[in-house]
Amino acid sequence: MKPHPLAGALLIAGTVPIKDFPLLLGKAEREGDFLLVDGQRIPCTQGTAAMVTAAVAALDYLNLDPPMALLAGDVGEGRGSRAIYDFLSRELREFSPKVLSLHYLLPIITPMKKVISAVQGCNPRPVLIADAGSMYAAKAAGLATEFDVFTPDAGEMAFLADSEATHPAYIKRYLFEADSKEVPRLIGQAYGCGNAAQTLLVKGVVDYIARNGEILETVREPDVPQMEAIGGTGDTITGLVSAFLQAGLEPHEAAIIAAKANRMAGKYANPTPATRITEIIARFPEAFKDHLCEWSGVCTVESRLRPATGGARQGGEA
Amino acid sequence: MGLFKDKSSSRGRGLTLFKEVKEALKAEKILKVSGYEVKLAAPPPSLRKGCDLAIEVDLMGQAGVERVLRQNGVEFDRIVSIDTEELEPLRVVKVTDFGDSMMVRAGNMKVAFEKATGIILNVSGGGCPDVPYLHLELLNKKITEAPRPCELGFTLCALMLDRALDEGVRIYEEARG
Repeated sequence: MKPHPLAGALLIAGTVPIKDFPLLLGKAEREGDFLLVDGQRIPCTQGTAAMVTAAVAALDYLNLDPPMALLAGDVGEGRGSRAIYDFLSRELREFSPKVLSLHYLLPIITPMKKVISAVQGCNPRPVLIADAGSMYAAKAAGLATEFDVFTPDAGEMAFLADSEATHPAYIKRYLFEADSKEVPRLIGQAYGCGNAAQTLLVKGVVDYIARNGEILETVREPDVPQMEAIGGTGDTITGLVSAFLQAGLEPHEAAIIAAKANRMAGKYANPTPATRITEIIARFPEAFKDHLCEWSGVCTVESRLRPATGGARQGGEA
Repeated sequence: MGLFKDKSSSRGRGLTLFKEVKEALKAEKILKVSGYEVKLAAPPPSLRKGCDLAIEVDLMGQAGVERVLRQNGVEFDRIVSIDTEELEPLRVVKVTDFGDSMMVRAGNMKVAFEKATGIILNVSGGGCPDVPYLHLELLNKKITEAPRPCELGFTLCALMLDRALDEGVRIYEEARG
């Protein structure tokens, strides 16, 4: 059977904060401070747009095909989220992306279960990432272990460690009050109660990369505390992880390099709490150029960062 | 509107508590008309506030449910979680001082504002679809004049951002005497 023309792609699915924005599937590109998907311009602000734009920047640098974005408008009432859940449940088996990243979606359990059922029907099964509302839904549905990577911040890590909570607003007070030094304990608790993906990238003062309960690495430098206040800095990390997975890295490798690259781009942007996420994304090429070779151990796309089948572009170099 | 309907799962459900039966019945009707899937339920004795009727709702849409009830003049006591130890969303906040600006975190939501002017510099955290929308609505507004997240948003993230904003307003006004 002829493969679907989009098979093997990185697919990022999430909502955008534009009411009545239709369900849209298309190639993602960057145009100044806008994300461009199938000709539609979307402001690159916090959320799915920041995540997709970060992935665009990384795949462009790696000379690989851009990500596909599945978007729908949703300002919290849930219509766009449901349209995305429904589309994925219905179409994913035909599509079979190489990497599927789920992002800002209303955390609702039953539709998430249907999506995971569709993922299980894909051949090959895509690498599966969740952040934001999708991660909340995955945890609340008891499906965390179906995922390859979660990218929680420290507060969301407390949510994953709380066996009962179905949203970070309802976590136990002592877990909310846990400081950053207690993140390893929270990681252990989350794995212990089956609420963690196989790989966790916990974003915070110190970034923790854990696999199946074991902390493999911490990333502390450069230390740019202002980044926590900037909407979208967590989204860009998840976009980078997605891109590096698409390029062929193992989940823990992708997580470590994404954490380092996000911090370095932040440093280069010399941010304040008023900095916009586009200013940090604009620094990714510089951070990659200066450090990707050192971080990934080898320095060409062909020798290590393998493209997806049919995904390599002609020309250019990493 | 078909909001937050999830028939097969009882996780993440909450109870809206009332002092009077007539308010519970009124609320059920209004919420159904507004598109929420709700049902009448009996609250456990420990949570009764003089009324033995409550309304079961999806907690994820708590901000939207509270707004619909307020806008329609329905008197309710509070909304509590059914299946977690914590009955109500976190009320505790954390504050980070960046020198010229401050960041307040409530639950998974953070708001940063300039100390001198009260201008909202950034909104971060969260994962619900109304968060990027609220980010755009709040940015560059004075913290005391900004629209309230619980009036614009629908989800628990909006509710937590509202609490962060509340604390930010308190800090800003206290500093100005």
